[in-house]
Amino acid sequence: MPESTKELYTEEITLNMGPQHPSTHGVYRGILTMDGEYVVGVENVIGYLHRGLEKIAENRTYTQFIPYTDRLDYLSAMLNNLGYVQAVEKLMGIEVPERAEYLRIIMAELQRMASHMVFVASFALDLSGWTGWMYPFRDRERILDLFEMASGSRLTTSYLRIGGVAEDVPEEFWPALKALLADLPRCFEEYDGLITGNEIFQARTKGIGILDVATALAYGVTGPNLRAAGLAFDLRKARPYGIYSRFDFEIPTGQNGDSFDRFVVRIQEMRQSLRIIEQAVREIPAGPVRAKLPKVLRPPKGEVYHQIEGSKGILGFYLVSDGSTRPYRLHIRGPSFVNLGAFPLMVKGGTIQDLVSTLASIDIVLGEVDR
Amino acid sequence: MSGVYGEGLLKGLGITIRHFFGKAITEQYPERRPKLAPRFHGLLSLDPTKCTACGTCANFCPNGVIRIKSERDEQKRRHLTGYEVNLLYCLFCGLCVEACPEGALRFTPHFELATYRRAGAIYDLYALSREAAGERRAAGG
Amino acid sequence: MASVETVFLSGDQWLKNWLFSWGMPESWVFLCTVVVYAVAVLLFVFANVIFLVYLERKVAGYMQQRLGPNRVGPGGIFQCVADALKLLGKEDIIPASADRGLFRLASLLIFIPATMLFVVIPFGREMIVADLNVGLLYFIAVGSTATIAVLMGGWSANNKYSLLGSMRAVAQMISYEIPLAFSLLGVIMLAGSLRMSEIVAAQKDLWFVVLQPVAFITYFIAATAELNRGPFDLPEGEQEIIAGPFVEYSGMRYALFFLAEYANLVSVSALAVTLFFGGWQGPWLPSWLWFVIKVYFMIFLFMWVKWTFPRIRVDHLMGLAWKFLLPVSLVNVFVTGTAIKLFQAMGW
Repeated sequence: MPESTKELYTEEITLNMGPQHPSTHGVYRGILTMDGEYVVGVENVIGYLHRGLEKIAENRTYTQFIPYTDRLDYLSAMLNNLGYVQAVEKLMGIEVPERAEYLRIIMAELQRMASHMVFVASFALDLSGWTGWMYPFRDRERILDLFEMASGSRLTTSYLRIGGVAEDVPEEFWPALKALLADLPRCFEEYDGLITGNEIFQARTKGIGILDVATALAYGVTGPNLRAAGLAFDLRKARPYGIYSRFDFEIPTGQNGDSFDRFVVRIQEMRQSLRIIEQAVREIPAGPVRAKLPKVLRPPKGEVYHQIEGSKGILGFYLVSDGSTRPYRLHIRGPSFVNLGAFPLMVKGGTIQDLVSTLASIDIVLGEVDR
Repeated sequence: MSGVYGEGLLKGLGITIRHFFGKAITEQYPERRPKLAPRFHGLLSLDPTKCTACGTCANFCPNGVIRIKSERDEQKRRHLTGYEVNLLYCLFCGLCVEACPEGALRFTPHFELATYRRAGAIYDLYALSREAAGERRAAGG
Repeated sequence: MASVETVFLSGDQWLKNWLFSWGMPESWVFLCTVVVYAVAVLLFVFANVIFLVYLERKVAGYMQQRLGPNRVGPGGIFQCVADALKLLGKEDIIPASADRGLFRLASLLIFIPATMLFVVIPFGREMIVADLNVGLLYFIAVGSTATIAVLMGGWSANNKYSLLGSMRAVAQMISYEIPLAFSLLGVIMLAGSLRMSEIVAAQKDLWFVVLQPVAFITYFIAATAELNRGPFDLPEGEQEIIAGPFVEYSGMRYALFFLAEYANLVSVSALAVTLFFGGWQGPWLPSWLWFVIKVYFMIFLFMWVKWTFPRIRVDHLMGLAWKFLLPVSLVNVFVTGTAIKLFQAMGW
């Protein structure tokens, strides 16, 4: 090395990203070590949205905790409701009426679509595709309208109850749902046209933030992120809960496990959710929507773990009952939290722009990360 | 995916220009009121003639939002004298409405509940319903 | 129609006559008219910028199935006035660790090249402030000095995000300056001049966009990058580096950067119209009206692209400039030159 260049040296800088940052999806904070534009290392810092939900559960009755599950992953309230009420039902051995099971499936799959639409929208936005943000939100709004009809709330629905659902859906729900189902394929086409097919988008996401199956499994990554890596593991098929075994649908998988695959897998999943809902609408029987249960629930002593396929991965509820009206302990396995663990690994060596797109592609919701 | 490089770009341009000449889907809120579902969870309302001040709603509330004041008359029957709902802590989950054995509690579609002071978010539904009843009487008589 | 066509020119003539009638020496009259020109250009720039901020939000809104601003005034037309008042009323915050002098200077400096560019733009028939014989060169040279202000602002703020942003700004502007200049070479060869009025005159029969489509596309891409507009808005890079060099600016200082960007949008569009779309030339309507219509068409193109595409990545950006645009524009120059020589040899 010549003498003159020896004195020229560069330093890595530490860049604090978040908790207030346009694209950290809420209050995620990463401490980045940067070499110019390139990311050398990332340290996850979480906890800015910690509300102590697991502790709150110990001071609420089993029914009273349902509204709190809405606030876990606040983009998929119905799915959180489903995981929790099924856990309690498993603990108490409750049979759920047939119609309620179908309604649950319809709501859960609608919620999965709504959550994935937010993913598509925010992914586009994090790549500065402003218009790509608006179109999925336009369609999600119609799903939320359906939720409003059924439960009275749009985001924090609290629609599911232990032993069924809160009420049967109103008459006007069905035509609105059918109209939505008819329009959705065209909407998916539009996302593909505006975002997926865009060459700039592909250049920014293909080969970025690669997560292979082995690493994904080692880190406990589940959901669309795992399927994008190539492993067709979906609890709805692998360990069907509720009445999922009755429906005919496929598990979309990717090959490379990059950001692009994670995006495409979710778009495909929306199409599969559509299929499930169509079948459920066709087959739904008439009847009661709620099992006859006492007003105050007192599960037997014991413990139970129940997991469902949430919109972001495996959503698990571990409940310990001491025979009283309140849970002795509740633990929630939030998929966002687990998936975020692999994030520092995925972004090492990329630019800061890749970091943003990768963070968007693993689809975290801080309400679930911090709980 | 696409054959020629740039095809995806042009397709995207086509989509946006189509929407440029299309119709807006947004709701012009203060002028045009939203069409809310009948079940919409807005402000609670109470029918004091049905309420027996049993306290089931307060017991079912996850957050202790509801505070009931009642007094007993000579026959030891409870009468409602106040029904305070602290919306600061309300989750709008609807467990109280569901729990009410008399059907006295229900949601209204009134959703504009923002206030400047915390005290403004605490509603006495009993007083509100009596006021409304008084107004009705005044209008009718 | 003739009176509408020459309304500005006759105004100018009237002013000169009026000044002469006072018995002013010629040099003083010249000086006075220059001041008037400068004020006129500034007015044109400000009026357009204010309108453009509104237009951009409307265009974005319509593309996203929204209405955009529609509260202040009819159709929200006074939204910008409300915004400007808000920005004026805001506290001018200068970070404690900033280089105060540079920080202040940068926000003022950014607007100077933005307005200086309009000196050589032919707004209509014989409506040009200074018809320099090196007009195009002047345009490119002055235009690129804006980078200094951006770098100044980013560096002096003493913020890591703004530093990253200004690094990107410098890299991007230097890279795109070259394909931009080369894309213009084809036009210059066809017109045989750097003088704006002659370039416009050379397109009397045929717009250069027909003869130079490749140059136009190259220019369009490079100009978008020069403007820091989406999909090349890397220096600002809201999703990654928040607002890049402007992250610490507030109130009116921020507004100056913002306005300068829109002023540049007008000037770059005006240049595109002058070079590729026949300038102010057009049938029936007055020349200056034609010019404004064409400029707004160009501006709409820029907005359309911005509101459709996601942002490109920083290394792809460099790759695009050096590996694609530069060779393409060089080939274009070569082909144009060969064609001109061939046509000359064939005696046309």
